[in-house]
Amino acid sequence: MIRYENIEVTFGDFVAIPQLNLEVAEGEFFTLLGPSGCGKTTALRTLAGFIEPSRGDIHVDGRVVTRLRSDQRRVGMVFQNYALFPSMNVWENIAFGLKVRKENKTERERLVREIARRVDLSEEQLEKNLAELSGGQQQRVAIARALVLQPKILLLDEPLSNLDAKLRHQLRGQLKELQSEFGITTVYVTHDQDEALTMSDRIAVFNKGRIEQVGTPQEIYDSSASEFVCTFIGEASPLTPEFIVALDPATCGLDTRRSSYLRLEKVALLTPGVQMAPGYRAVEGIVESASYHGLHTIFTITAHGARVQVLFKEDGQERPEVGERAVLALDPRHVLQYERDDAPVPGGHHPVAAQR
Amino acid sequence: MSRTPVRTMVRSPFVLVVGVILTWFVAAFLVWPNANLLIETFFPGGKFSGRAVEKLTSSDRAMKSLFNSFLLAVTLAITTNIVGVFIVLVTKYFDIRGARILWFGYATTFIYGGIVLAAGYKFVYGESGIVTGALLGVFPGLDPNWFTGYFAVLTVMTFATTTNHMLFLSSSLAKVDHQTIEAAQNMGAGTFTILFRVVLPMLRPMLFATTILSFLTGLGALSAPQVLGGRDFQTITPMILTFAGSPTSRDLAALLAVVLGVATILMLAIMGKLEKGGTYFSLSRVSTSLARQKITNPLANAVVHGVAYVLFVIYLVPVVLIILYSFVDSRTIQSGTFSIDKMSLANYGRVLGHGASLRPFLVSVVYSAAAAVIVVGGLLFVTRILSKYRNWLTTVFEYLLHIPWILPAAMIALGLIMSYDHPNPLVGTFVLTGTTVILLIAFVVVKIPFTLRLLKASFASVNASLEEAATLMGASSLYTFRRILFPAVLPVAAAVLALNFNSLLDDYDTAVFLAHPLFQPLGLVIKANTDGAASLDARANTFVYTVLLMVITGLTMYLVYGRATATGKRRARLRVPVPVSLPADEATS
Amino acid sequence: MHKLSTIVAVAVSSVLMSACGAAGGAEDPSTSPPSKGASGDTLIVYTNSNADGRAEWLHDEAAKAGFAIEVVGQGGGDTTNKIMAERGNPVADVVFGLNHMYFSTLVAGDALEPYEPSWSGDVDADLADPSGDGNFWPLVQQGIVLAYNAEVFSPEEAPQNWTDLWNDERFDGRYESVEGLGGATTQLIFAGILDDYKDPEGDLGISDEGWAQIEGYFEHGSTVVPEKDLYLRIAEGEVDMGQMFTSGIPSRETEFGVDSEIMRPEHGIPFAVEQIAVVKGTDQAERAHEFIDWFGSAETQTAWSAEFDSMPVNKGAIANADPAIVKFHEELKQQEIDWSFAAEHIASWIEKVELEYVP
Repeated sequence: MIRYENIEVTFGDFVAIPQLNLEVAEGEFFTLLGPSGCGKTTALRTLAGFIEPSRGDIHVDGRVVTRLRSDQRRVGMVFQNYALFPSMNVWENIAFGLKVRKENKTERERLVREIARRVDLSEEQLEKNLAELSGGQQQRVAIARALVLQPKILLLDEPLSNLDAKLRHQLRGQLKELQSEFGITTVYVTHDQDEALTMSDRIAVFNKGRIEQVGTPQEIYDSSASEFVCTFIGEASPLTPEFIVALDPATCGLDTRRSSYLRLEKVALLTPGVQMAPGYRAVEGIVESASYHGLHTIFTITAHGARVQVLFKEDGQERPEVGERAVLALDPRHVLQYERDDAPVPGGHHPVAAQR
Repeated sequence: MSRTPVRTMVRSPFVLVVGVILTWFVAAFLVWPNANLLIETFFPGGKFSGRAVEKLTSSDRAMKSLFNSFLLAVTLAITTNIVGVFIVLVTKYFDIRGARILWFGYATTFIYGGIVLAAGYKFVYGESGIVTGALLGVFPGLDPNWFTGYFAVLTVMTFATTTNHMLFLSSSLAKVDHQTIEAAQNMGAGTFTILFRVVLPMLRPMLFATTILSFLTGLGALSAPQVLGGRDFQTITPMILTFAGSPTSRDLAALLAVVLGVATILMLAIMGKLEKGGTYFSLSRVSTSLARQKITNPLANAVVHGVAYVLFVIYLVPVVLIILYSFVDSRTIQSGTFSIDKMSLANYGRVLGHGASLRPFLVSVVYSAAAAVIVVGGLLFVTRILSKYRNWLTTVFEYLLHIPWILPAAMIALGLIMSYDHPNPLVGTFVLTGTTVILLIAFVVVKIPFTLRLLKASFASVNASLEEAATLMGASSLYTFRRILFPAVLPVAAAVLALNFNSLLDDYDTAVFLAHPLFQPLGLVIKANTDGAASLDARANTFVYTVLLMVITGLTMYLVYGRATATGKRRARLRVPVPVSLPADEATS
Repeated sequence: MHKLSTIVAVAVSSVLMSACGAAGGAEDPSTSPPSKGASGDTLIVYTNSNADGRAEWLHDEAAKAGFAIEVVGQGGGDTTNKIMAERGNPVADVVFGLNHMYFSTLVAGDALEPYEPSWSGDVDADLADPSGDGNFWPLVQQGIVLAYNAEVFSPEEAPQNWTDLWNDERFDGRYESVEGLGGATTQLIFAGILDDYKDPEGDLGISDEGWAQIEGYFEHGSTVVPEKDLYLRIAEGEVDMGQMFTSGIPSRETEFGVDSEIMRPEHGIPFAVEQIAVVKGTDQAERAHEFIDWFGSAETQTAWSAEFDSMPVNKGAIANADPAIVKFHEELKQQEIDWSFAAEHIASWIEKVELEYVP
């Protein structure tokens, strides 16, 4: 459906994207994830036609669109701040593209009404000024405005970053729902890994203009292909070589020279008298701190120089106090290891380099 | 904004102190002198006199001039907006080659105006002008005086009054979120659809503002009609000034001024209504800065480039000629024949030659600076209160502060003299006439409405939570004002300060009545040295003074704007909003 | 606010004082900021006769004679209005240079203090205050004339009277008509024309025929071009004639290379006589009197005439003045104008002309 082929984007002397190759399948909800300045928005805007790449081509539906104007690519876009036209009311905003396209009036009326119904905007809201709408309603206007032109691709540039946390959570669901209802190929840009993990079919993690990993949310999380992906997605505690030694590396294929990480839900506190699962190893440490979250508590345990975070489910079991000794139980296969230069370990049985 | 009861408002000591001073100032220098003048004028001896109405309505010339003034005001409001919008677009919106150079050409109106500007254009298009000469070569039958009348006046004033666009519309444009333009592009809109359907509508509040300012400029047109109007197109302001000077005809001046004043207020009210609901706050917390737009159609691109450079030449040539002509003698200037070998520094030597010649410059600089600082400084406090509290009292004050827009400066000066040439309880036991203070008061008074409008808009744009945060942290209102609000409105205040300063520098109308003999400002000296009947060198002197004024005003603008544009970061702070609506309308928004 | 203004005023004066010190010090007059209307030791002199170095000359010469003066120069109308406006608290001590019409206005407004200068016997009493109260005294005289291009008209072909200009079609559009009526020269010409048409029954004391003349003046004239000298227009052939004051002729003839002649109507031409007087309410009347005695004296007026080509009134000065100037002026016949009548009506005449006749 969408293919970036050897795309290079430069701004003056600055190379924003050195070489990008990426494919997005029809109907997919595809997310470009990365910290700010990583090139994800540049990649999106190149697809939208606002940026002309210095090299390479962009294919949509098998057709090269690299030199086409934005509106000729049949992509709809929802901007970070929605970019609604403040001088027009809701109806006029949605109808703008149709008017530009010189649709006749009855057709315009019909299309605007239909899309408004589908994104759940009432007749009354259509006559309102934008300032009278809530953030969520504004977002729906922005989506309606993009979808009314029946694009083949919907581009979303951090559409939730502008909202407060609660609304953000709520709209995440609505956005995903809308996408699956319309079944439209969607490229979504965000720096919020939570958003990426919950909404996407697949994710491309960007760093410094390059893709670190492409995969399903689960692949990205469980088998982070690089140290960058590992630390950027989710929470992971860095482990010291001493800690690795304590795991008896020779028996489980771990290498003390590499950077090692452990996700906090992949390690448990060993309750005294409870049998450890097969293959697990026990490591002793001291409880350094505990932060209580109601549903769970996150303990920080110091062991062999590493400060290991542990997710502890508050299900009524006994919990250690700060300063007490505690025993960590973990499966060495869950330790993520990377070469110091960020490259995944060659030939290691984990982690899996998903789509490289 | 919510309404605050008067009783709550006056509980604040800050409000109380500012309020008392403001009440005194408004009563003593805005209401009483002008009321006094109008009463004396229309009710001589306590009885109403309808003489002025009768005289004026039966005068064809007065009626025609009045009509011309209104015609000029209405058409100028349209044409200035067209040219103004165009020059702002080519310098700040479209991707035009040499936009920066173009900007400097268009910005020449910042530094000169009035009679010299009109004369400058006459050099180019008048009967002995360069362009006329060229045209005559092509069309021998052309009337050498083709550049006179309504068309000429309108043309010159259109180019002369785009300053507001350059200052205020540019800053509005800079605030347009670039994403909205991309959104429109994404939906298939072309360059001009985006411009007319998306960008210009967002600039509507500022366009209302520039419309009002252009309308006012047209209504008060003085020098351009005098120089270029010819017999068929004279306006009302010269007549007002003539009549204002003569004690027996002052009622005519007052009546005409009131007619213009009422039109001004009506215009403000109408625009306020139109503007209502049209103030577009940015919907988002994030907006991306505007990137210059390429004009995709090559033909349109060529046309826009062409027009931009033609305008550039139109703007620049009069200034260049004035500077060149300031080096030649009056004879050469008057006959319009120019050659390099006639240039000398003789004019500058004559004007600046003797020891005392710098004195008027200093007097004017000090007076203008003092007045500009006082009016901006004082109104910062006042505007703060007017924008924070909305009730009948603040509304009344806001209207009262607009009084100086209703009367011409000369009449305001007369009102002050009439009211304070004897001990008056309003100002203690002092007699103000003949002191150095009275001119300063007049300068402050005439600058109040303009300053008020700009500062108010600026306060309105300050994020209210800033202030609340400071208050929560225990800051006193004065401290909050000084450390939080003042820095936020400082860029606008500085811009207004500069504009006020520049416009007061060569004031004549008030100084002629109020200046202290030992401290005569520049305007009087210029007039004395440039009066055609008095001296053959008059014409050359005019040009020298104009060039010197250009230097000062150019320097002022540079200090306020120029240095800021050197670093993009600071430029972003210097955005001046213009506000137009009346208090009643704002109260509801 | 008031305190602020005081501070600013002090700042103004202190800055200026230091500036003056820097600019050239001693020649500057007293710079102490006066707190009240009239100034301390410095005499404030209002005049419209300040251009072309007159103000500087007077300032320096007066200083040599022991008078510290400050010359405030403005147009005749402005000066008159300023004095009238300041009647409540006069700033000026002496006013000079205005013609008798303006002075009559000041007398009517009770703005002058009568004083008989030491040289009153040396001047033609006819040129002084017509009321005979000695409110003001003459210094300089000049004729207000129609100057024409001598190469275009011989004295016989030239108009013989102002009214010829619009009644003889040979002159149609060939003379410059002035629309700005604030100037003294124009007002005197109107006074001169209207004086022939006095009619107690007519509007503002002028007969309908008189007003028809004014209408004709504007209808057939070539409108003055702002900022363009009459003599330049003559030199370029745009017009052949226009109003002028006699002392302005010699310099313009040289400057623009025009050979001009003046119209000599049978009943004479209006004379503008520049006067001097003490402003009522001055706090240094004695000093003002001494200054007037000095300035109007034969000696000072001789020097003034030599410097600025003016025709003095003082007989002693006439004797010493440039014979060419004296001869030229003595050949001019002065028109008999009812000045008190003119002074009484001129403001309303100008108003009527502004409203009804100026095109």
